[in-house]
Amino acid sequence: MLKPQSGIPIYRQLVEQITRLIAGGQLAPGATLPSVRELALEHAVNPMTISKAYALLEADGWLERHRGKPMTVASRRRSQAALTQRLAQLEKPVDELVLAARQLEITKKELVTLLNKKWEDGDV
Amino acid sequence: MSEPVASVRNLSKRFGTKEALIDVTAEVEQGDVIGVLGKNGAGKTTLLEILLGFSPPSAGSTMIFGENSLQLSEAAKARIGFVPQQDELLGMLSGKQQVAIGAVFHKRWDHALIDRLLVDWEVPTDRRIHTLSVGERQKLSVLLALGHHAGLLVLDEPVASLDPIARRRFLQELFDVGENPTRAVLFSSHIVSDLERAANKVWIIKDGRLYWQGYVDTLKESVVRLHVRARAPLPSVVPVPHRLACRVEGNRATVAVAEWSAAKRDALAKELEADVEVEPLGLEEIFIELHK
Repeated sequence: MLKPQSGIPIYRQLVEQITRLIAGGQLAPGATLPSVRELALEHAVNPMTISKAYALLEADGWLERHRGKPMTVASRRRSQAALTQRLAQLEKPVDELVLAARQLEITKKELVTLLNKKWEDGDV
Repeated sequence: MSEPVASVRNLSKRFGTKEALIDVTAEVEQGDVIGVLGKNGAGKTTLLEILLGFSPPSAGSTMIFGENSLQLSEAAKARIGFVPQQDELLGMLSGKQQVAIGAVFHKRWDHALIDRLLVDWEVPTDRRIHTLSVGERQKLSVLLALGHHAGLLVLDEPVASLDPIARRRFLQELFDVGENPTRAVLFSSHIVSDLERAANKVWIIKDGRLYWQGYVDTLKESVVRLHVRARAPLPSVVPVPHRLACRVEGNRATVAVAEWSAAKRDALAKELEADVEVEPLGLEEIFIELHK
């Protein structure tokens, strides 16, 4: 899931993926998250990077910290984000996609066809 | 803030007329994993060796645990682990004998850890070391530096000869600090993908100077490639602050820039009368852009 060689810092990849999972309901309120150490070992990334992502998610109200226990998904507010809120999260990548398509002189129809294909493929 | 684990102050080193290091200043803090990145001959090994007190600086100074590198006490030396680029294993010994020597030299030797790693890392312990492959020797050499739970681990190209699986195990071990969360690691590598996973900070050395130092995340957020598409032909050098490299073809241009922030995009697009697309760069590409 994490791509260390990407230009997007690893902590930001983590923040984006976890917020998406929570907003989409795959991570339900109260669900526990792996410990910093577990995630760091699994992906062989620096534990500080994981801590940084968790701290940001906590500050934004997505996660709750408990003394001596794993972090959990926060029980209230954002966990059941409204559709508009979830869509808002997609705005930036979609802007970039549309811009790139225009620069490549790809038509709207061609882009939608590609999106449909990717959506159905199921390997994304 | 606690005292830095190691520090380098205005360090310069000359070999004859060649300036190997020029006015380098940097610090290693507790818990840091710092990747030292540079082309061959940029001065990485020289920097690590001077820091460890193997040779004197021409100017400036270096300290480890608050002691001058050239006069380290035995207690300070016992808290340092070092893996040199060329291993210093004794070819006539078996792996087992070499490990026993390591255990004798250090008061706090973690037998259980080393026994486990010898198995996990698949290091043959019964054969004489001179019969081992380069990769096996390197694994043994790294393993020996982990046995005494050093407060500062210095590794000069520790993984160059390891296969991807061994490299992954090595990184995992590096982070499984367990009882020693304050351990700092300084490692040079030309395998950028390892640095990218492991390091929280990088030092980029270019022609003997510390060209860039700081957090990997900051570096990735501040060095990007811009794809510019203007309505009219662009000048051969696109006027962008902190420009690194630039390629112009008619009304399109590709420009690598440093000190970028997302907020700058709209202003730049307006100024150039162009669409500006921002491409984030991985560490390897950043390294290459910084050397153009």
